Amino acid sequence: MPPSIRNRIAVLRAERGLSRQQLADALDINVQTVGYLERGDYNPSLELAFRISEHFGLPLEAVFSRQPFAPMSSQLYRKEESA
Amino acid sequence: MTDDLKNLAGEIRRRNIPPRYFAAQLKRGVPAQDIIAAWPVQPRPPHMDRIGSRRWRRRLVIATYGGWLLVALLSKLLGAGDQRFLIFPPVLLANALAAFILLSRRTFLNREVLAGDSGLDERLVQNRNRAFRLAFQVFVLVALAAWAVSVTLVHQPSDALLIYLGVALLGTTLPTVIWAWREPDPPEPEQPAT
Repeated sequence: MPPSIRNRIAVLRAERGLSRQQLADALDINVQTVGYLERGDYNPSLELAFRISEHFGLPLEAVFSRQPFAPMSSQLYRKEESA
Repeated sequence: MTDDLKNLAGEIRRRNIPPRYFAAQLKRGVPAQDIIAAWPVQPRPPHMDRIGSRRWRRRLVIATYGGWLLVALLSKLLGAGDQRFLIFPPVLLANALAAFILLSRRTFLNREVLAGDSGLDERLVQNRNRAFRLAFQVFVLVALAAWAVSVTLVHQPSDALLIYLGVALLGTTLPTVIWAWREPDPPEPEQPAT
């Protein structure tokens, strides 16, 4: 079984107040696929990964990672401290 | 007054408010409308009904093939000449039909398995292709084994009929059954917006 790719889809979707159905409609995928992506049961193709990151207006590495994500808040504070 | 009560009862049912909780809140002096307003409508997520839990689907698969196995064992116990054997083919067909209806109507998996690419996203296309690939491999093995058994060991038409029905059952249900077996539990329902 290939290692799971981590993603922030659930966080980003909640942040934007989107339901799974709305995101699925926007990406033209099945609503269950959104749930499986969020749960890590399905790794998207590169094409779908790009579509998702473009939908959220973020670079690919901000949405998907092979390593566990650090909390967004800690990343944000780190950025502010270095600025 | 009666209409108000009817509406109230309808809202309690629609929002799935436990009657005990409702009564306890009323006793505390909370107005009925406030109790109802504080209890958001819980929509029944359609996807939960759609594919069902993995455990439920696996039980259905076991019942489908286990039914055939049970009939095959019973027929061997009864003996080929027994008139009661005649009841088994309809039982097997009814079993297969019930499984087919459940997999088609309850889960709609059969529709996805048989769909063209246009109706499916990339995950569903992958699932379908994987299910058909595995089904082909299993079916070829079983069909070859069944053929070998039928030409060497089977001397009774009743045994041949059982083998034929088993192969037919596999041939018609295998891709859907593989999909049903492997598909994970549906995603948890979303929390209603507050």
